[in-house]
Amino acid sequence: MRIDLSLLVPYLPFMLEGALLTAQVCVLALLGSLIVGALMAVARTSANSLLRRAASIYADLFRNVPFIVQLFFFYYGLPEIGIYIDAFTTGVVALSIAGGAFTSDVIRSGILAIEPGIIEAAQVSGLSKRKTFTKIVLPVALRTSVRPMGSVFINLILTSSILSTITLNELTGTAKIVASDTFKPFEVYVVLLIAYATLTYLVSLLIAALHRRLNRDLGEAVR
Amino acid sequence: MIKAQSVRKVFGSVTVLDGVDLTVAPGEVVSILGSSGSGKSTLIRCINGLERLDGGSITVDDFDVSKPRELAEARKRSGTVFQMFNLYPHMTALQNVTLAPVEVLKRPKAEAEAEGRALLASVGLADRADAFPSQLSGGQRQRVGICRALAMKPRYLLLDEVTSALDPEMTADVLDILAKLAKEGTTMVFVTHEIEFARTISSRVVFLEKGRLVVDLPTEQFFAADGGLANPRIAQFLSKMRKD
Repeated sequence: MRIDLSLLVPYLPFMLEGALLTAQVCVLALLGSLIVGALMAVARTSANSLLRRAASIYADLFRNVPFIVQLFFFYYGLPEIGIYIDAFTTGVVALSIAGGAFTSDVIRSGILAIEPGIIEAAQVSGLSKRKTFTKIVLPVALRTSVRPMGSVFINLILTSSILSTITLNELTGTAKIVASDTFKPFEVYVVLLIAYATLTYLVSLLIAALHRRLNRDLGEAVR
Repeated sequence: MIKAQSVRKVFGSVTVLDGVDLTVAPGEVVSILGSSGSGKSTLIRCINGLERLDGGSITVDDFDVSKPRELAEARKRSGTVFQMFNLYPHMTALQNVTLAPVEVLKRPKAEAEAEGRALLASVGLADRADAFPSQLSGGQRQRVGICRALAMKPRYLLLDEVTSALDPEMTADVLDILAKLAKEGTTMVFVTHEIEFARTISSRVVFLEKGRLVVDLPTEQFFAADGGLANPRIAQFLSKMRKD
């Protein structure tokens, strides 16, 4: 068998467009799941039992249902009751909600790991609840949770390939089209493998840098 | 003035504070002694609002700590130094000291930093201002902890066994600073096991036993044979502490 990557050259702009769409979806979904995850983590560690319960139900629900089922429900299920959302928005929202469930878990364990005395010190110094959270709780929790959060984020990028099933021509979607156009699935999917590996590798580099930055006081120990 | 009246605190089935009365006037240094479990730390934690009272009342300059709105005012007037330092691990020594002045008192950052550096210099940490807590020794961390409390210019300093986690040499460093503060007229409520030190800096000594305030005497009288020492429990406690 002859492997010839050059026959993919005419399709590169098309695949690049797909890659760009993947990048857009992922950046928005990462931000979305970080925000949703942080809010849900707050709710799950809150003193209000109703809030705690609601947030736990959310996390359990979205962690325990296959992503493709959630996605189909949003994209094909909701229109039946009159809710129409375009594929791009559906993709970003679904990824943010699903990713948020996992992210909330990671941030929550980071919050629970904080020495209670540190929070008490902030309280007695007169810091408001909100300031205590933004200045102390969240940054200290992120010190320990940024690495596991990286795994969640990488998983999110990989999961974004499923969005091709709701007509969104992101990286995987374009690759499928090119593969059936050229009858060269081997070459196409080799490129796809490399593209995803590069994307996730970049994210893991970023996470490692962030982890070092947040734990810069610990020096070599965290490298 | 800190005023605690008939303070009760219950944890589950254990009564930790059982009707404690204590008054601390500006300029006083009051040491709280007592064996572990006697309620000393809990009393401090009730004064700064970390524990909710199950009975009685505490006011700091007439601000009631059990009312959320007044607690904020009360907390501005008192500073707490903790046994385990409780520094913010992600902030430098200087940032630990300036956080509350900037965020709570809304002081300009540059001003707060200049004062913070001066405070750190006054405890011998001028060159460690930009170090993180994990890069400091225990004694240095506690000195930062003291600066953090002082940066808020509190009228009352609450010290909760601040040398218990330190070795003797570091303890001496921290006690020197407290002695200096006492000499400058800082009002302090001082929970401690350092009996001899309490004797030298306190104006009054109170003794807690099983959640009750058993004795409240001027320091001289507390350590006099016909004063506090006449109480067999106190005599026993003091001789045990001195042996250790």
